[in-house]
Amino acid sequence: MTKTRPSAPFSNVTRRQLMAGAAALSVGAMIPVAAWADGSRLNVRAYLEPDDYDPLDASGFLEELLYGCIYRKLIQYVPGEEWDWQLDLAESIEQTSPTTIEFRLKEGQMWSDGYGEITAEDVKFSMDRHMVEENNSRIKPDLGSFTHVEVTGTYSGIIHLDRPFAPLWTIALPYLAGTVICKEAVEAAGGKITTAVPPAVSGPYRVVEHRLGERWVLERNPEFSGTPADFERVDLIVVVDDSAAEIAKDAGDVDFTSIGAGSVQRLRDNPPAGSRMTVHPALFYHWVGLNVQHPKFEDERVRQAIMHAIDVPSIMQAAFFDVAEPSTGIIAPGLIGHRPETLIPPQADFARARELLDEAGIDRLEINIDVLNNVTHTTAAQVMQAMMAQAGIDLNISVHESGSFWSLGVAADGDRWQDLELTIKRFSMTPDPYYATAWFVSDQIGDWNWEQFSSEEFDRLHDEALSETDPDLRDEMYRRMQDLMEESGGYRFLTHGVTANLFADSIAPATRPDGLPLVQFFRRA
Amino acid sequence: MSFRHTLAGRLMADPMAVVALIIITALVAIAVFADVISPHDHTAMNLADRFAPPSSTYWLGTDNLGRDTFSRLAQGSRIALYVALTAVTISGLIGLVLGMIAGFGPRWLDNLLLFIFDTLRAYPTIILALALAALMPRGLSTVIIVVVITSFAEYGRVVRTQTLSLKNAEFILAERAMGASFGRIVFHHVLPNVLGPFFILAAMNLPVVITIEAGMSFLGIGVPPGTPSWGATLKDGFDYIRNTPWIIIAGGLPLILVTLGFTFLGEALRDQLDPKLRKSR
Repeated sequence: MTKTRPSAPFSNVTRRQLMAGAAALSVGAMIPVAAWADGSRLNVRAYLEPDDYDPLDASGFLEELLYGCIYRKLIQYVPGEEWDWQLDLAESIEQTSPTTIEFRLKEGQMWSDGYGEITAEDVKFSMDRHMVEENNSRIKPDLGSFTHVEVTGTYSGIIHLDRPFAPLWTIALPYLAGTVICKEAVEAAGGKITTAVPPAVSGPYRVVEHRLGERWVLERNPEFSGTPADFERVDLIVVVDDSAAEIAKDAGDVDFTSIGAGSVQRLRDNPPAGSRMTVHPALFYHWVGLNVQHPKFEDERVRQAIMHAIDVPSIMQAAFFDVAEPSTGIIAPGLIGHRPETLIPPQADFARARELLDEAGIDRLEINIDVLNNVTHTTAAQVMQAMMAQAGIDLNISVHESGSFWSLGVAADGDRWQDLELTIKRFSMTPDPYYATAWFVSDQIGDWNWEQFSSEEFDRLHDEALSETDPDLRDEMYRRMQDLMEESGGYRFLTHGVTANLFADSIAPATRPDGLPLVQFFRRA
Repeated sequence: MSFRHTLAGRLMADPMAVVALIIITALVAIAVFADVISPHDHTAMNLADRFAPPSSTYWLGTDNLGRDTFSRLAQGSRIALYVALTAVTISGLIGLVLGMIAGFGPRWLDNLLLFIFDTLRAYPTIILALALAALMPRGLSTVIIVVVITSFAEYGRVVRTQTLSLKNAEFILAERAMGASFGRIVFHHVLPNVLGPFFILAAMNLPVVITIEAGMSFLGIGVPPGTPSWGATLKDGFDYIRNTPWIIIAGGLPLILVTLGFTFLGEALRDQLDPKLRKSR
């Protein structure tokens, strides 16, 4: 009997076959890279995750990033260096009186998934629902004095205001609140978009998949009625940390990202191959907020002492690497209402801070600050901690991930909003001062107004300014409002920052004048 | 008995143990004399000198706020030792008591404790840390609680096994026959025999605890920003790795040395305390 030796796996594979196999594997491994390299796919970094597809829940630019890709508006911002708008769904739109705006839609603009044509009923549904109290729209303030849309025909309607609203053309229509959603689809879904993918879209892209905490996968919308998008697929990839985003850009995992201030000078000196960087003056506003209703800060002298103990230039140097300037308020240079200077100089005055604490009878003050877990704000907090110690103030820092942080001051999310002491925050902004002050009126306490600042004069001015059409008068009103904020001792304005974008030179990004991306207009270079 | 036949003497004859003791002594000395040997105030910012490379002024360079990295690491050694010793002591004591109860107790109690030990050991430390960090204030206490919860079961398991093997040993049965009390059996016979493996495990666990603290601080759920922990230094190094590699190199160095030191010590102790290994040498 002969024994046959069991053959070892792959014993018949020759060296040549092995090499050929390896080569085939290598080619196979390059396929996704090749698909990417031909420009059919675009990866854009999102610094946080958008909430969902329903504009009722929108809170800021992250949602706009997503909505811009999948929905349309009557008008949209024009990409470039100047703030301007262009027609989108609207064939024409005109202010026919201080309180009425007539529009006519382009015909043949389609919803996806068989929901037919976009009509004036969709526009009415989309805007009116923000005014329904039970809907709890978080962006209702964007609409100002808007009351309702009157449908005058299949494609035409009239937007009604109860009084003139200056920011209509800069905020209400081209930003979040102007997003048009499909009435039929949303009503069929129960009046709110809570589905895994939106039931109907109209923009250049449609949602394929949402990987929670990771990315939104979009693909070209074949039913888009405008000029087809350049990219087959767009991934909005969530990368919270600026350093990680820059590494992802270097590794080729993202094609477009904003980068931290700390990288600007280095990338200017050594621009990476195959990439470009642009730096834009931002409209954001970063500030240190103090809860003026907290028992610890009842004495105004204590609040003022804290403000005097914050050295803004040091924060600019350490956290913003000297690429950003100290701000004078919440309204950026170039906009109506920008203040030339703050009431308290940006430089700290530790002696004055100490003096105010002594007057208040406080020897040593221990306070807490809550910050988001990004490098810029944690660094700013550490600078404050070191500086404030010189005035006898011990600052404890608590860092939170974004979900936890953004619920701290929200009454609906628990009782923590009442115990807040100091916070560092950054809000996004649009090119009208109304959008900045809207979050600090008394009605916003327990929602966005974490400082619990309440001033009748501020509320009145905010209300009057939105209808004021004289730019000089508006300018004066908004300056006064920022004075009131600062006088309260609840605000130490830091900076508007800069928006620095790093992107592959194979793409031609489109951005607003403040550098924020309008992905729907991105093209291949 | 001459010194060379004592445990200390035998350890001193083992090169691995000597290296371990040098590293650990250096760590303890740095922690104790951190204020004296630190060339700079570890909290002092000097923005003009930030991201400085190692030099005669800044031995390990500076961080993003211009703080001296060596001084911060020296202060960080106090945090590392404090967390490691506190957490290992507490978890060790809990494990020791519960392990002996499991070993001597009735079958149902043994099964119950065993179930608890195995459940806790199966739970990933970092996941538990993330969950607890959401519920508790951030700080060293939270770090210690996380470490205690995740590590006492390991001690309990080892002590239980030792106790079970000892309680029916012939010399214990003989003691019982001679009327020795339960307390005498536990404290004079079982406990001394359990302590050998217990200390080996503790020595091995010390660097693990230090790494957990560093890991939690790196993830932002450990000590608050500004605290000079080794993990926080590593985090700063990661954030600014494009600006300078020195922070992350300097931050990783003590972790590597301490892990080596305590691991060598644990190995050397095992060589000396485990009778089977001693015979085989």
